Amino acid sequence: MLLYILKRVFQGFITVWFIATATFFAMHNVPGDPLTNDRAMTETTRANLEAKYGLDEPVSTQYLIFLRNLARGDFGISFVQENREVNDIIREHFPVSAILGVLSVVFAATGGVLFGALTALYRNRLPDYLIMFLVILGISVPSFVVAALSQLSLVSLNTLLGFTVLPVAGWGTVMHMLMPALVLGLSTMAYLTRLMRSSMLEVTSSDYVRTAKSKGVPPTRIFTRHQLRNAILPVVTVLGPAIAAITTGGFVVELVFAIPGLGRYFVEAVQQLDYTVIMGTTVFYGAFLVFMVILVDVVYGFVDPRVSLDA
Amino acid sequence: MNEISASSFEPLSGQQQSQVIARPSLSYWQDAWNRLQTNKRALVSLYIVIGLLLFTLVGPLIWPVDPAMQDIDQISQPPGADRTAIIVPDYEPWFGTPGRPDSGLQLAEKATSQAVRLQWEILDGASGHRVYRNLFPIGPELSYGIPIAEFLNNDTLYFEDRLDLQPGRFYYVVVALDGRGLITDRYQSIPVDIERVTTLVEASERGLIENADSMEIGDEVALALHPLGTDYLGRDLLARLMAGARVSLFIGIGAPFLFVLFGVVYGSFAGFMGGRVDQFMMRFADFVVALPFLLFMILFKIAFGIGPGESGVFPMMVAMVVLLWPATARLVRGQILQIREQGFISAAQLLGASTPYLIMRHMIPNTLGVVLVTVTFAIPSAIFTEAFLSFIGMGVAPPTPSWGSMSNEGIKTMLTTPHELFFPALFISATVLAFNLLGDGLRDALDARMRSAE
Amino acid sequence: MTANKEDTNVRPSLLIVEDLQVEFDTYGGTVQAVRGVNFSVDQGQTLAIVGESGCGKSVTVQSIMGLIPAPPGRIIAGSARLRGHEILGRKTVGGGEIRGAEIGMIFQDPMTSLNPTMKIGDQIAEPLKVHRGYSARNASLEAVRLLELSRIPEASKRARQYPFEFSGGMLQRAMIAMALSCKPSILIADEPTTALDVTIQAQILDLMLELQKETGMAIILITHDLGVVARMADEVAVMYAGKIVEYGSANDIFYRSAHPYTVGLKEAMPTNDPARQHELKPISGSPPDLFAPPAGCGYCSRCPYAMQICSESPPQNNGLHDHHSASCWLHHPRSGIKPDTLFFGDAL
Ligand SMILES: Nc1ncnc2c1ncn2[C@@H]1O[C@H](COP(=O)(O)OP(=O)(O)O)[C@@H](O)[C@H]1O
Ligand code: SF4
Ligand SMILES: [Mg+2]
Repeated sequence: MLLYILKRVFQGFITVWFIATATFFAMHNVPGDPLTNDRAMTETTRANLEAKYGLDEPVSTQYLIFLRNLARGDFGISFVQENREVNDIIREHFPVSAILGVLSVVFAATGGVLFGALTALYRNRLPDYLIMFLVILGISVPSFVVAALSQLSLVSLNTLLGFTVLPVAGWGTVMHMLMPALVLGLSTMAYLTRLMRSSMLEVTSSDYVRTAKSKGVPPTRIFTRHQLRNAILPVVTVLGPAIAAITTGGFVVELVFAIPGLGRYFVEAVQQLDYTVIMGTTVFYGAFLVFMVILVDVVYGFVDPRVSLDA
Repeated sequence: MNEISASSFEPLSGQQQSQVIARPSLSYWQDAWNRLQTNKRALVSLYIVIGLLLFTLVGPLIWPVDPAMQDIDQISQPPGADRTAIIVPDYEPWFGTPGRPDSGLQLAEKATSQAVRLQWEILDGASGHRVYRNLFPIGPELSYGIPIAEFLNNDTLYFEDRLDLQPGRFYYVVVALDGRGLITDRYQSIPVDIERVTTLVEASERGLIENADSMEIGDEVALALHPLGTDYLGRDLLARLMAGARVSLFIGIGAPFLFVLFGVVYGSFAGFMGGRVDQFMMRFADFVVALPFLLFMILFKIAFGIGPGESGVFPMMVAMVVLLWPATARLVRGQILQIREQGFISAAQLLGASTPYLIMRHMIPNTLGVVLVTVTFAIPSAIFTEAFLSFIGMGVAPPTPSWGSMSNEGIKTMLTTPHELFFPALFISATVLAFNLLGDGLRDALDARMRSAE
Repeated sequence: MTANKEDTNVRPSLLIVEDLQVEFDTYGGTVQAVRGVNFSVDQGQTLAIVGESGCGKSVTVQSIMGLIPAPPGRIIAGSARLRGHEILGRKTVGGGEIRGAEIGMIFQDPMTSLNPTMKIGDQIAEPLKVHRGYSARNASLEAVRLLELSRIPEASKRARQYPFEFSGGMLQRAMIAMALSCKPSILIADEPTTALDVTIQAQILDLMLELQKETGMAIILITHDLGVVARMADEVAVMYAGKIVEYGSANDIFYRSAHPYTVGLKEAMPTNDPARQHELKPISGSPPDLFAPPAGCGYCSRCPYAMQICSESPPQNNGLHDHHSASCWLHHPRSGIKPDTLFFGDAL
């Protein structure tokens, strides 16, 4: 068990190293020297940066310097906002994205399980058709359209009622979080609903549910004891990718709702070609996702007795 | 049992006996096609997909409008908008009409798209005025709109607005400035309905009238037709949607096709080699899977860089292929391993078939069904990816249209001219929906276990 | 013949099924899966239902248990009376649950028939809690005792394990323990050994026989294996295309087979009796389409004895002697066949 987790964490670090390497070489390939771009930069900053990244050294040395800094957890200094450490930026903006993300994952997972179970119970009846229609919409409409539309409807709702039901943009209170989190979780919720529905249907026609019926177990007990737990398992397995989708989906939602999260900061950094921030954030997000997947796997080991967490 | 006759108990001849219903035996693909046809949703989706392809390929022949051409008479016009213009005399400069207006702020003459001419009386205690133009009436929070002119003394009490005026209703506001040039809460506001006009010279320049002599001042001319309206630069939305479809579908179908192809080659090679090679190859695939996809799409886009005049379509395709092949590779490898365990491959091997021959002849056809389904599901996500990247400004570079970049532009004017967002978003959604449902249908049809019909 | 009949009239059978008819709506049309089935079981007796797969054996017993998924399934006619009370389409009889309490059931594939995420002990204890009001503690103690009864070693440890930790044979024992937890009067076993190794098969069958002796329950055993029938059955129903074509004691079926299909089954069965060694002869052809069952005898297209009339009208059920009966035109008085040549014993 512990051994298994250690092994996975070790593998995780190797994966992060791979991500970092890929990031380094992708960015190293950027046409032109990032420092000689026509960017206003004081001589001292330039000298500092050159010394720090060994920019006059060969690529291999630069790579080693990059890895050494990375091992120390040092992502360097922003190119655009001079004297601001990438670490500071992450520390300041990531918690916002994390709160938004956690809220969305909770929305998506509970909604997905709930609606999925409902559609399966009411298979081929009105609630099923209704929910599945919405699910298809949720899967087919791009997130930025959903974000824009929800913002638009908040605007009209607030004007219609004459007071602020939910704030249209910004960050700070729980009220600010609800709408963006819902929008961010929506497509994942739709996807999980679909998954939960087919998983429920499969479980419903399974041999062991037939056995439970043959034992005279009442329907509600069959639902809670036999169907639900087994049907949720596939949903748990895709939580890793779901978290990844929600994390990157956050870029758009943070942009549209003017939320000061890391996603929006990343997009801005990309538009300003702030290389250190781009590299640092990419490696950070990569590491975050790798370890989330490991976490989900470990959790799955607890939920599904068939999976043994032995190394 | 009165019908029993003596002959009833005669033995049956062989022929009479064979009343077994012989069902025609169908090939895998025929069978799948038959099953797909019974799936109404999948069939409709297939028609939508075919319709989209026709729209992209044949559309520009039927509607040969240049998607880059700007119609400055019609900017951000919704479909079905009035597209007439009245011919007026050529523009002449205006410096206020002599004589003060009877009261407050008023129009000096009829407002047209050529010019809106305002005059006003000095507002209470004002030492100057600022003029605003707004799309909405002034609400309780006193948002005046866009400032368009400022006069720091009371000498000038008129203003002429000639800044890309579009037909429709605007609200003009004149706000009093105090001695230091700061705005006060004293203002005057009037709604202005602007009529579209043109001059004879303009109209003939733009080819709206054939013979300038036959037209007179006050005549109506019809402007160019834009069935789905125009965008914020006056470009024809239908033509842009067609051009955008070419880009979006090229990426959306081309990229999945390429990365699935690469995945198939990679996966079948690994699956066929087995052993160490297989292990190594799949471990590498695991690493590539771990790269956060959208972040690396962005990274690669930056790394490739886009030169002037390039659309950025090619780097996007390359990035997708580099990042997305592993899923297919895994799937195909799994299939190959499964098939390898079944007997017929070793039978063929015994007969001395070469490895490439085996892959070509036996394994690939057997995995084709799974691969087809994978491609179908990969298309909507590729289209989404293009839209997402274009939305955050990392996708197809302007002026090349794609549905994603059109949505990105449309979202900025969502409140005033929603059609600029609506149409590209509709096309993205319909395409994604169609391919998803088609994928569902294909999977069910090709799945030998015949999933339960949902 | 007369004496026996009166006996059974005095003490009516435990379960009597009459004219059971079940249909399924499918995309291809309506499948007439069961087309008028009659049988009865007595206390302490074993009835075997034999037939090719797809002939409607499972549907027959699942209808009795109320396990037919509806839709698409539909019981269109018939009755099933347990000690004289109708149970078809009902959940309770005389205040007691039918499923799990009056009738226990085990299935073909023990690997998929147990909930993979629930401990074996909990699954066995469940009927006790539901039907008998056992406390959680008592129920799990009883579950361990039931596992022991089913000859599972280290029962208390095993009760805390999950199905994936059991072998197929062990799982089937656990299924039996579960089905018998509330001491039902009937155990329905739907091909209980088909998915198991041959050696394990024998053990499971022995276990069922032993438990039957201890509890006096009746067993309805479904199988397509005549070897299993020979080992277990008191009475046998041979089923073909949704109908019972021959019914009788095990001896009747094996030594005085009265229906050509029964004969076909026997010839397709391997035997190790050297005196009766013959070549295995699989029945050629396939069963009729149950979407549109033939007008005459269902076996007509495959029957070596088929006559003109067989393709025209369905044969009546002809009582032969005792309980022995068969649905075949050969037994019609006008078939012109002498009664003593009608029994296909060792002659064939
Ligand atoms: N859920 C169902 N839906 C449609 N047809 C069914 C269903 N269950 C059984 N059948 C049909 O009923 C017939 C008898 O099935 P079954 O009783 O399972 O046969 P077996 O004798 O092998 O147990 C089969 O031909 C099958 O097609
Ligand atoms: S009724 Fe006719 S076809 Fe049917 S089994 Fe008897 S002889 Fe054969
Ligand atoms: Mg069966």
